[in-house]
Amino acid sequence: MTYSPVAITGMGCICAAGNNLGDSMASLFSGTRAPVPPVSFTSNHPINYPVFEVHNFTVPADLLRTSALGLHAAREALDDAGLDRELLSTLRVGVCVGTTVGCAISNEMFCREYRSVSVPGMGPLERILRSNPAAVIAREFDFSGPCQTIVNACSSGTDAVGLAASWIRSGACDVALAGGADELGRITYIGFISLLITDESPCKPFDVNRKGLNLGEAGAMLVLESERVRTMRKKKARSFVLGYGSACDAYHLTAPKPDGAGLKNALAEAFACSNTDPAAIAFVNAHGTGTPDNDRVETMVLAEVLPGVPFLSTKGYTGHTLGAAGAIEAIFTAACLELGKIPANIGFSTPDPELGGNPVTENTPFSGTIALSESLAFGGNNSVIILGKGEV
Amino acid sequence: MQIAIQGVGVVGGFGTGVAEMRKALLSGSSNRSIIQLSNCGDPLEIPAFRTDTSRLTEFVPLKALRRIDNFSKLGLLGAYLALEDAGVLAEGKQERLGVVIASGYGASGITFSFLDSFINDGDICASPTYFANSVHNSAAAYISIMLGATGPSSTVSQFHQSVPSALQTARLWLSEGRVDRVLFGAVEELSELIGYAWCRQRGTTDSREISPLLTGTESAVPGEGAAFLLLSRKEESQKGYCFLDQVITGRHLKPGFIASPQDLLVLGADGRREKGADYAVLAENATVACFTSLYGSMPISPAFDLAIAALMLKEGKTFASPFSGICDFPATVAAGGKALESQRVSCLSLSDDDGFGLVTLSKG
Amino acid sequence: MNTKEKLKQILIADLNLEELAPEDINDNAPLFGEGLGLDSLDAVELVVIIQKHFGIEIKDMEEGRDAFKSVEALAAYIDRRLAAA
Repeated sequence: MTYSPVAITGMGCICAAGNNLGDSMASLFSGTRAPVPPVSFTSNHPINYPVFEVHNFTVPADLLRTSALGLHAAREALDDAGLDRELLSTLRVGVCVGTTVGCAISNEMFCREYRSVSVPGMGPLERILRSNPAAVIAREFDFSGPCQTIVNACSSGTDAVGLAASWIRSGACDVALAGGADELGRITYIGFISLLITDESPCKPFDVNRKGLNLGEAGAMLVLESERVRTMRKKKARSFVLGYGSACDAYHLTAPKPDGAGLKNALAEAFACSNTDPAAIAFVNAHGTGTPDNDRVETMVLAEVLPGVPFLSTKGYTGHTLGAAGAIEAIFTAACLELGKIPANIGFSTPDPELGGNPVTENTPFSGTIALSESLAFGGNNSVIILGKGEV
Repeated sequence: MQIAIQGVGVVGGFGTGVAEMRKALLSGSSNRSIIQLSNCGDPLEIPAFRTDTSRLTEFVPLKALRRIDNFSKLGLLGAYLALEDAGVLAEGKQERLGVVIASGYGASGITFSFLDSFINDGDICASPTYFANSVHNSAAAYISIMLGATGPSSTVSQFHQSVPSALQTARLWLSEGRVDRVLFGAVEELSELIGYAWCRQRGTTDSREISPLLTGTESAVPGEGAAFLLLSRKEESQKGYCFLDQVITGRHLKPGFIASPQDLLVLGADGRREKGADYAVLAENATVACFTSLYGSMPISPAFDLAIAALMLKEGKTFASPFSGICDFPATVAAGGKALESQRVSCLSLSDDDGFGLVTLSKG
Repeated sequence: MNTKEKLKQILIADLNLEELAPEDINDNAPLFGEGLGLDSLDAVELVVIIQKHFGIEIKDMEEGRDAFKSVEALAAYIDRRLAAA
């Protein structure tokens, strides 16, 4: 079936590149980044791995940082869309948020106390139970439409935007806030180090010397809006969700399938449902984590399906923000379509002859109106979203 | 679009598979046991509905399960049982199958183990296997790997709202034609961590009877398990259980909103006192049933209600609500073995933040 | 108990190779793919296992590649590292 385009009328994000979308885009195009060892926590691991933390951000005491990041981005997105509480109260509004740690019943302080103290404090667990990322946004604005928190590891953010677009098309809601949120903490930091896919230096997506990812944290939300409401309030679209596809490798818990079959299936679905000709794709915002495996499989598939199409990874600016990654990268993709240029793939200097292609190495203008963002995840999920240039 | 329920796979305190669930529905009894916790070395016991995943080796060789944790084992067993029940296990790779999993707490047991691994031996000794298994979509991943399911896969986690929310996604995928079938499953694991949090919040009373329709009484007992449904579009369905007419989720449900009075209303009330009064208001004057005392209280319990409702519609008659406690609000508790008048059953579940899920199944 | 025997017991316990006994593991059989049938996730777990039980840090997979060929090779690597320490 062919999908009708779904308008994006607002966007907001917070990440190490900037506490809002404007600042983040400025960092991307000025080629600046500053990953450093964690400031908000410590580790007794002998190596200090650089991370991309968000600074100058205050978290309410009763919320998880993850949910606070999502809420912060949601406020920016709603402001950007010009939707105030009064107008929102007259609409059926859905919320769809991707995350990885936002619903994990996991807290180190509680765990330590449980083993060593006869009456451990329940505060950390109670905070988790109050902080489901989608529910927090729905509660804050008293939304009563569909509400879903998606936990598909690193493709969650892309999946959230894809699902919310389906909600709008099917009439399940008038407006949907869709995106992702994930905080950086000790547990994820130690977990990714244990998998030996973390780079000791700033990450180098697609470079021959890439050693792995750097973790980051982010909140990123988009406002998707029905044509009915958009017509009623004469609101122009910043971008359009044209297509979405997802497919599972059904291969391994952590390793991507070497032949990229799942990613190819996801791309094929996204092209088919949006009726998009692959030749029309102006650029690809790749997953590009900087791990040897991911970048190999991804460039191999891109060389086959989208030969010659410029691509980049923005993870060199934000770190890998896990459940938020797909959402923040969709936002960067839409913002680049508005600007008609993409930033350099920071961290890349030496091509890897084993890869299917090289990313853009400088800020690059383009003339097309359609772009694609892709996410690959633990569990074998591959998700692809196709976005079109907006009206403003 | 109407969606058909083609197969049901359940594992819970009542046993494994539809036959054992049916037996428990007829007898009104389930297996409550005790779980042992160790907080700071002090033993603690709480009553609970535990599950046994030993039948999984009928479907998967033991070797292939070596690093799969209890949460994913529950999911795998539910998945295989649903496919077996629908008679499609022999088909081989399921390339047009979508997988949608709901879980309130995810793989909390292995998450706890991962934390232990570095708390005990230092950050450098954190176990990557535990970490990889602790991601919420691990059960979905193992299911896709074992079944060769290369369609879309998604896992939803929002406590007591997980089931109706995830079910909407399953429905959407079928109506958009993304897949031909969806394996919809709900999985919950009663890990030590969840068990401890439970008894801190609700105490350790072990002899109480679950009285879900006594609104002012705390009588909940925690449970764990998996409930899976194999779904397809109605027009492509073989003779299955029944059809999924609608799934409504949202917040602030009003009493008048619930379907016609001749429909049976299955309540997700499970003895947690804070939700009792809300169910009472919404179910006033309805014909109700409640089965939570067969499998216990857990965020995904609405999925068990769906499985039971599907079985009632398949057999065309009601099962008696398996508790002797009375209903202290004006509603009629349906007797067992009676014909389902309207051939329609609605399942209501309430969650935090005034959220609700209302799922309607029918025979026609 | 020599390093090889100790290693076999540790592998069975920590990688949940429940169906195997130490004598079932051939000293020279490959640990990965054919042979013991381990995969990339087991490889990173093995790094932690060596750290935990022998106090030896393997920094990345390049370093571990030769050592992880078989029980024989791994035991020799461990003995060498312990002797050098």
